[in-house]
Parts: sequence; structure tokens; C-alpha cells
Amino acid sequence: MWKIKESSPQHWALRVIGVAVIAIAVVWVPTQMSTSRIGQFSDAFVLIIAAMSLNLVLGFTGMISIGHSAFFGVGGYTAAILIKDHGWSPGYTFYAAAVVAFVVGCVIALPALRIKGIYLALVTLAVAVLFPVLVKWKKLVWLTDGAKGIDSVRYDELPVWPILGELKGRDGRAVFAYWLAFIVLVITYLVCRGLVKSRFGRSLVAIRDNETAASVMGVNLTATKVLVFGISASLCSLAGVLSTLRTGVVTPEGQYVTLLGSIVFLLIMVVGGAGTLWGPIVGGLVYVWLDNTTRGFGSNSDGIIGFLFGWADQSPATLILGLALIIIMFAAPFGLVGLIKKIWVKFVVVVPRPAGTPVAMTGDESGR
Amino acid sequence: MKRISKKLVALTMAGALVLAACGGDDGGSDAPSTDAPSTEAPSTDAPTDSDAPTDTEAPAPAGWTVDTSACVDPDAANAPIEGTIKIGSAMPLSGGPAAAAFAPVKDGFEAFVQWANETGFLGDLQMEIQIEDDQYNKDLTPGAVEKLLDANADIFSGIIGSPNNAAVRDLLNEECYPQLLALTGSPEWGRAEDYPWTTGILIPYTVEAKAYAAAIADTYGEGANVALFTVNNEFGQVYVEAFKDVAPEYGINIVDEQTNEATDSAPPTAQVNSIASNAPDAIMAVPLGAACAAFLGEVANAKAANPGWEPQIYLTATCASSLILGLAGAAADGLYTANNLVDVLDPESAAIPSVAEYISYMQSIGKDDIKTTAAAGWHTAEMTALIIKQALESPEGLTRASIINAARNFDQVGSLTRPNVRMKMNGLDDQFIAESLQVIQYDAETKLFTDIGELITEFES
Repeated sequence: MWKIKESSPQHWALRVIGVAVIAIAVVWVPTQMSTSRIGQFSDAFVLIIAAMSLNLVLGFTGMISIGHSAFFGVGGYTAAILIKDHGWSPGYTFYAAAVVAFVVGCVIALPALRIKGIYLALVTLAVAVLFPVLVKWKKLVWLTDGAKGIDSVRYDELPVWPILGELKGRDGRAVFAYWLAFIVLVITYLVCRGLVKSRFGRSLVAIRDNETAASVMGVNLTATKVLVFGISASLCSLAGVLSTLRTGVVTPEGQYVTLLGSIVFLLIMVVGGAGTLWGPIVGGLVYVWLDNTTRGFGSNSDGIIGFLFGWADQSPATLILGLALIIIMFAAPFGLVGLIKKIWVKFVVVVPRPAGTPVAMTGDESGR
Repeated sequence: MKRISKKLVALTMAGALVLAACGGDDGGSDAPSTDAPSTEAPSTDAPTDSDAPTDTEAPAPAGWTVDTSACVDPDAANAPIEGTIKIGSAMPLSGGPAAAAFAPVKDGFEAFVQWANETGFLGDLQMEIQIEDDQYNKDLTPGAVEKLLDANADIFSGIIGSPNNAAVRDLLNEECYPQLLALTGSPEWGRAEDYPWTTGILIPYTVEAKAYAAAIADTYGEGANVALFTVNNEFGQVYVEAFKDVAPEYGINIVDEQTNEATDSAPPTAQVNSIASNAPDAIMAVPLGAACAAFLGEVANAKAANPGWEPQIYLTATCASSLILGLAGAAADGLYTANNLVDVLDPESAAIPSVAEYISYMQSIGKDDIKTTAAAGWHTAEMTALIIKQALESPEGLTRASIINAARNFDQVGSLTRPNVRMKMNGLDDQFIAESLQVIQYDAETKLFTDIGELITEFES
């Protein structure tokens, strides 16, 4: 086991190596991989953003929400309506969707001021169930196109970005979608990290751990809960915008705008590791990889899959995905990030800086 | 300092988003434009013999032709396809009830391709089929299609679901890949001006709705009272809008409109009671999947509770399968529906040589149990192969462009189409391949359908 001091040169070296590996991987994907693989990463980024937003509310604040699919839908529909009906450039719809979803999120957070736990879960469940019904409501058909949904929502011409240059065709669209999703993902991560590492973030954790104690310590429960729900909804709507731009279609039957979407976001967050910043990222990548891999097995697979699941009349994809997720949760009850940390400390232990050590001595201003 | 740098990073990211926002969006369409509409009808002169699946005629003359100049890669769109043609598709094969309903379509499609390769249907040209699983989730369809494009698919055929097809329509039209025979009846697949590379195969819901309205008017004359029961999704909404559009033309009064959700597992008791309270002469029903049988069961209950009320029931062709109607038992007796394919369970139809060959082949590969539900897949694959054959024999030879040209200048019959039903398209003048249909009535005792009236061809463009 290798022991290193926090903020020591070795610690910094490890951090730099970690960042470099991630940077290489991020650039490797759109430059070296096939278009469909790039698309899979874009899909993963969308789900990661949604799971990160949920993590803010559930993982860090302890407010159970099963209604995030509605915020995803708010984002998707805001983008589609503004682009198709009002001729907006797709990029601007991110801002509009974030604002609309923030307001919706704050309103939906109001019940959270009086109820919590399973009761709050039921309220948000109702939101998830209501959203598709509301979209299909006859009196809103003029806006949402009802059950038919809105299609052909896309960049007619891709913007020219400095480094990427002029992008054309499906390869260009895939690369553009990848970088757009990546940028939104980074912004989401920074917002979440900024919040969690701040005083506001400590208020969230305090509310999660003991609401009464948090209140006694001076945390404004009302403002904190409403604000975090609003921010979470806002971030989730960005994923909705990305999803709509990727498929060009938004309908009330779309998987991620229905209750099933909320379950997928929840699953990704839990599999990755609830209450950790990297949990949704790891969970999202693993989920999309598993989902794509299992769907490829088909009903007439050879080898071990055929041997184990040959009895099934249909594709065993969903069954295998479910089993894989159960195994993951069994092996990593605190999520994959928890498992990685558990393995990591067997090799490297970062000794925390002694409490009260002046910042100047370590050069670390973060106060961690 | 560190905080400032973090802010800078955030600012940079936000700036990048602004860049995205400023991206060119001139409101123009990327879809390749088509040439001026041709008024010249194709003269394929296909035979009228319904039992000949291989009756392609001489190459189609130059009728409507696609403009490939706006394609991302015009040369690729006109490049010859030799040896093997790879057909891609996306269908729900796992993940829920849709998979159970549609997986046999895949089997039927693959069975035809296998049969065609074995019998040399396309001469030396072999067909290869790769079907990806999109779980009926339009968010997964682009990924499935991109995977197929990476695997060098030449054309796409039989993608199931309206949102699923819509999710890849822009991509395939921009790239100029034929998106043939979408397995949905949405009128959206008749927009050749905007999407020349996309076509459908099912009877458009608008046409089907018109046929039922005409049949109701024939039975009840002016002033028939009709109630609508539809699934509350894209399929139901298109259908209802189409029926309501034509209702005044046929003097039909719509006295009640009820819906159920596609995900509802409970029978639509309240909806049917509401309909019964209005005692309509006929019910136009557009449920989906298991709700077809549940709806019929509830109507039977309502009829028992309201003696003397005997409405005619017109049920969407989507429900018109002996398997689905068999679940409803006696409650399905006497209902009306429509189809343009033969019922392979009907001994009379099964005796038609081409149908007998289909049944025999399905038996030989151990798929006899799904021969009814697989028929749609076989039919779609057969139409795809006929289009390829026509393109192969065209002066341009087999290219992606010649394939879509052949599809839009097409006039053939299939081995499973009803006698005298022609599958035809004619450039911009006729953008739907299937517009002839037969109104049929179900007999719950024999589990067979009886033709009502003549084959309706008046909606053919």
C-alpha cells in the first residue's frame, strides 16, 4: 500500500494523470471511434446529466424524486416548441428550457416543504405520471401537438466551431452532438460540484442527514429545498433538450419523458453511487454499455448466452440487463464508485491534511 | 485564484453553448429536394395474377426520379451495389409488450430473405438482413440505425413505429439512404416533396378511416350516430382526426369520444359505459394490443346491460388478427375491420399457391406457430425485394438512388396480398403503396373473416 499526503506532489501527480487519462479518452472517442459508438457516448452523456440532476436532490439532499422524467420532458418540449413554432436557433433553447424547468421545479418543490420520504416520492410520482397526460391534453394540443408529438427538431445547419471546423453529414452531426453533450455535461458537473462543495452543499447534506438539526443550525429549509429542486429540474431539462436534438422527435410516449425515464435516471444514479459526484458518470456509462451490449444478443445467440438463455422465445436482453444490474448492486452496494474507492484504498491511501493546517503550507485553497 | 479559474472554465463552457446557440439555423430544410413532379405514370404493367410473387416486369421507365445533388455524398447514392445488398431495420425485439407483438415480424422478414436467397429470387444478388433492437423506443432508434450504417447497410426497410421512423427520417434523407416501407400507417410517410427517401407500407390510417366512414354511411345513410374509442397516442390521434375530417362528408354525427392510455391494463369499462349511454349506431374503435380484446369484452357487457342496443363495431386493422380477436372470444363476433392481405388461416386463401408456399416454408423452418403474425414481415420483405429487383433491372442498375426511384414508380402484387390488390406508388401523384382494402367481418365461431362488399380501390391515387 502506498501512502501519500493530501496535496503533496505525489497526490498532485496522481490527479494530473487522472485528468490526462480522462482528457485523452474524451478526445479519443470522437476522433477514433465509429459514428455509432460516438452516438452511444452522446446518449450516455444525456442520461448522465439527468442522473446528476437527480443526484443533487436525492443523493445529496435526501429528497426522493421520481418525477425527473417530467423535467426532462419540459426541456424537450420547450426546445421543440421554440425551434419549430418560433424559429429559435437550437442553442438558445438550452437557456429557455433551464429557466422554464427551474420555475416548474420550484413549484413542484412546494409540497416538499411539508412532506418527505415516501410521501414526497408519491407526489413526484404523480408529476411523472401527469406530465405525458398533460402534454396530450386537448386544450394544450395547439402547443404540444398532442399525442403526435413534434418532429424534425434539429440543427438544419451545424454551427461552425473553432476547433471542430465545418462538420457535415452524419459523422459531423455525431461529432457535434458528442461535443455539445459533453459541454453540457461538464457544465452540469461543475454546477453540481460547485453547489456540493459550497456552504449551500453542506446545507443540503445537513438536511439529508437530520432536517431538524439542520434547521437548528440555521439552515433555511424552505429556501434550500426549493432552490435545489429548481436547480435540479433546470439541469435535467438540459438533458431533455439534448435528447430532442439528438432524435429530432419529442412525443409524450417517449421513454425518458414517462415514468420509465425517472426509473432509468434513478437506476443510473444508484448503480454509479448515490451522493457522489462521479456516481452518475460511472453509472451512466455502464448502463448504456450494458443496454447496448445486451440488446445485441438477440434471441438466437451462440455461445454462453445461447446456452443460458436459448430457452427464451424472445430476445433475453432485458432479462440479462436486469440480472447484470442485480449482480452489480450485490457486489457494490454503495455503487460502482464506492466499489472503486474500496479497491483503490488497497493500493493507495491519501492521508488527509491535519485539521488546522494553514492553506499556504499545502498550496490548497479548497479547504477540503 | 483557483476560484477565478473555475469561473473562467464555467464561462468558457457557457460561451461554447452560446456558440452552439449562434449556430446557423436558417430555417431551411436539409432534406434533398426532388425534381419537378412527373406527370408521367409508370408503365410497369404488372400482371393481375395474385399468386405470383415473382412477377416483376420490364424495367420501369423514367418516371419520378430522386435528386441526389443535395445528398451528403451524391456519388455514394449513385454507386452500384453488387454481390450482396445489405438491408437494415430497427424493430422492438425486447423490453416489453411491443416486443411480444412485433418480434414475429422480424421472423417473417428474415424468413423471406432466406427463402429469396435460396430460390435465387434476385438472381446472383444476395440479400443480407440485419435487424437491430430499438425496444420500440424512439430514443434508441438513431443509435440502432447508426450502427447499421457503420455496418454498411445499403438500404433500410420495415422500421416499426411512427416516432421511431421519424427519429431517423432526417438523417436517412440527408444521407440519401432509402428508408423503405415504414411499418406504420401514419400519413407522414406521404411527404415525398420533403422526404423523398422515405415511404410507408401500411394502409394509411386516413384511408382506413374513410373506408369505415363510407361503410357506415352505406348501412345507416345520412345521420348515422357514431362513437369513437381510441388509444390516446399518435396512432389514435391521427385516426380520430382522419375520421372526424370525413364524417361530415358522409353525414355522420359523432356522439361520443372516449380514449384509453396505451399503458392501461384495466378494461375500459367507464369509457364503454359512456358510449353505451349515447346508444350510437356504430362504434369506431382504435385500441392497441391487448386493449382490442378488452374493449370488445366491455362492449359485450354493455350490450347485455342495455338490451336492444346492437351497435356495429368497426375495429382498426391493427387489431384484425385471429390471434387478438381469438382472445375476445364471442365478443368479437360480427365486428367489421379491413385488410389488404389474405388471412393465412383461411383454408380458401391458404390454397392460393403463393400463400401455400409461404405456409409451407414457415413450416419447414419451424415457424408455423407464428405464420399469421409473421405475414406482415414476409410481405414487407417481399415488397422490398420486388423494389430491389425493379431497380436491378433498371437502366441505371442497382444503386441507392435507383432503389428509391423504383419504390416510387412501383406497381406489383405480393404473394400475400388479396386478389386484385395492387401495391403501387407513382411519384408525387401517389405516395402511398397500399390504398386498396377490403372491409371484412369476423366470425367468432370459425375464427375467420368474410368479405363485405367489393374491394375498395377508390382511394388509390
